[in-house]
Amino acid sequence: MPSVRDIRRRIRSVQNTGKVTNAMSLVAASKMRRAQNAVLEGRPFSEKIQELITHLAAQPTDGTTAGHPLLEVRPVQRIGILSITPDRGLAGGLHSTINRAVAQFILAQQVPVRTVVVGRKGRDFMVRTGQDVQAVFTDLGDQPSLPDTTAISHMLIESYEQGEVDQVYLAYAKFVSIMSQQAVVEKLLPMDPAPLSGSEKAGYIYEPDAATVLGTLLPQFVDMEVYHAILEAVASEQAARMVAMRSATDNANSLSSELTLVMNKLRQDSITNELLDLVGGRMALEG
Amino acid sequence: MGVGKIVQVIGTVVDVEFPQDQLPSLFDALEMDNNGVNLVLEVQQHIGNNWVRCLALGSTDGLARGAEVTDTGAKLMVPVGKETLGRLFNVTGSPLDNLGPVETAQRWPIHRPAPAFEDQNPTVDILETGIKVFDLITPFPKGGKVGAYGGAGVGKTVIIQELIRNIGAVHQGVSVFAGVGERSREGNDLWHEMQASGVLASTVLVFGQMNETPGVRARVGLTGLTMAEYFREEEHQDVLLFVDNIYRYILAGMEVSALLGRMPSAVGYQPTLSTEMGALQERITSTKTGSITSFQAIYVPADDYTDPGIVTTFGHLDAVVSLERSLAAQGLYPAVDPLASFARILDPRVVGEEHYRVARGVQQVLQRYRDLQDIIAILGIEELSEEDRTTVFRARKIQRFLTQPFFVAEPFTGQPGKYVPARETVRGFSEILDGKHDELPEQAFYMVGTIDEAIEKAEQLRASVA
Repeated sequence: MPSVRDIRRRIRSVQNTGKVTNAMSLVAASKMRRAQNAVLEGRPFSEKIQELITHLAAQPTDGTTAGHPLLEVRPVQRIGILSITPDRGLAGGLHSTINRAVAQFILAQQVPVRTVVVGRKGRDFMVRTGQDVQAVFTDLGDQPSLPDTTAISHMLIESYEQGEVDQVYLAYAKFVSIMSQQAVVEKLLPMDPAPLSGSEKAGYIYEPDAATVLGTLLPQFVDMEVYHAILEAVASEQAARMVAMRSATDNANSLSSELTLVMNKLRQDSITNELLDLVGGRMALEG
Repeated sequence: MGVGKIVQVIGTVVDVEFPQDQLPSLFDALEMDNNGVNLVLEVQQHIGNNWVRCLALGSTDGLARGAEVTDTGAKLMVPVGKETLGRLFNVTGSPLDNLGPVETAQRWPIHRPAPAFEDQNPTVDILETGIKVFDLITPFPKGGKVGAYGGAGVGKTVIIQELIRNIGAVHQGVSVFAGVGERSREGNDLWHEMQASGVLASTVLVFGQMNETPGVRARVGLTGLTMAEYFREEEHQDVLLFVDNIYRYILAGMEVSALLGRMPSAVGYQPTLSTEMGALQERITSTKTGSITSFQAIYVPADDYTDPGIVTTFGHLDAVVSLERSLAAQGLYPAVDPLASFARILDPRVVGEEHYRVARGVQQVLQRYRDLQDIIAILGIEELSEEDRTTVFRARKIQRFLTQPFFVAEPFTGQPGKYVPARETVRGFSEILDGKHDELPEQAFYMVGTIDEAIEKAEQLRASVA
């Protein structure tokens, strides 16, 4: 049976933990608001450029577009995947959800998979499970900028163009709402042409020519997709952390009140026992 | 022999006045006729004026001042010998089973000195129980004392009965069961069960249950012990002594202590607490002529292990099995807390390196799990490092693998009991610790015998899901 002092010490430690988690949840809430804005404002642009590119890719070729390396479909011998995870824990089950999704993806493939990892949690997971890791990026911060992420996207483009990998996938936590983040694995390269109805297949006239337009547009598209995925991941991380820390605070509070109840009972017990001893001794002396 | 007269009756304590030069000695038994029932009084104190203060070993209902009391000139004598086997006695050594009187060549006094140091024989042999948690964490020494501690309703009596079933049944020597202040129904059940299983012929049963007066409950343990001592001293046998429940012995002493005029000590216990406990426990020991291995159930009032009555018994034991209510509440039977239980012989020189390593490993994993429980409660299991998470999952498996179906519980659970050899137990836990069964579901380890049965159960679970 623990002593009153033991329980008091435990209560103090639980309460301190609760203070920390409460502060973390507040910090995450304010960071999340910023990240959420960035994602929501970026989404229309990202969706539009994706629509544009897939439309372009679906156009009847005039012999020049097919030549662009980022549209080239090759027999798949190796797959690359960019896994975007948080740097830090204490964000509920977020990182394990993404890692699990990536692991399931890797297990489902017939060909070897090479990974590029953003975030320490993903790195640790890949290293522990002994995956083929091409590169690791950490410490992108809470407000990643486009120049930060282009290094990542350029690397993906390079390895695709050089034929090191024949497909590139993107795994990240999509920010659905504050309460819900969804682990998604999407294909980035090569681009899948959108299914178009007849009237849409009108054919474009490129100015100055198709190679120049696509050559500028496609790498930018990849940059944008990667940037946007990272923004989504950051927003998801902050949202998950806020929710996780809020429930941790609640848990700490309820644990602390449970322990307080136990402690009060124990204290009362010992007081009662001491009284009994005193009264008993007194009565024995008198009797 | 002197004849005295009752001068005062205070509940179960009786004062008797004797003629000046015929005072009985301390602990001598006095006899009297109480309305047709033979009542034995035991002298506790000489209080002056030729009065002796006595403890009644029976009901004092109907006593009157002036009634005549005869001094027997000796301590309470109980029959000892082979004739006692298969019989059921009360505290004064009278048979309770309606099978006629017991005639033995010898009768021994219930108060006897403990064996001297030089006669004692500390043994270090292991006694296999077939119960996983005992064989692993608290291996029982042959000729040692084992206590099962627990609050109300956590399974002390069931454990004692399972031990009788597992050890008593295969045991070659004789067994003595002393029922002290427990439910009369259990005594009755035990007697019928022993008749059915055939072990009664090598067993002596002594009962002074809840319905008896405190004087009886304070002495019935000594009666049983005296009968066991005979087999050790005279027949040179290895004896098993089961006591259920030793705390009722303390409690009975406490009930009469104030009536005898002693000032209560801490928490209201008798000031002679450790003396009384020592007088009983020190006699339960192994000598050069034979051994007594004892199993004692010990009730823990209000689950408080710091209670003076509990602390006093701790020191006498070679192995302590601690039963925990929180485990019983989770359905983890036997509800033994592996972290609070210990055994003197859990030592690499006695049980061997491998056994020691596994037992300590199990305790470490469980301790780590307990340490992490606050963190899990606050942050959730997701936040633990991979290593800690593995530890948690293994700890939960170990907790479940420590459970075991009991033979004596079969009528209640419908599950047949399991006997697991100690070697199998060590192997099973060793494999869990080494992570060989990390992929099996937790439930597969619940209420099984050996690790192979756990694997089998996992197969069945998988089949039933699929």
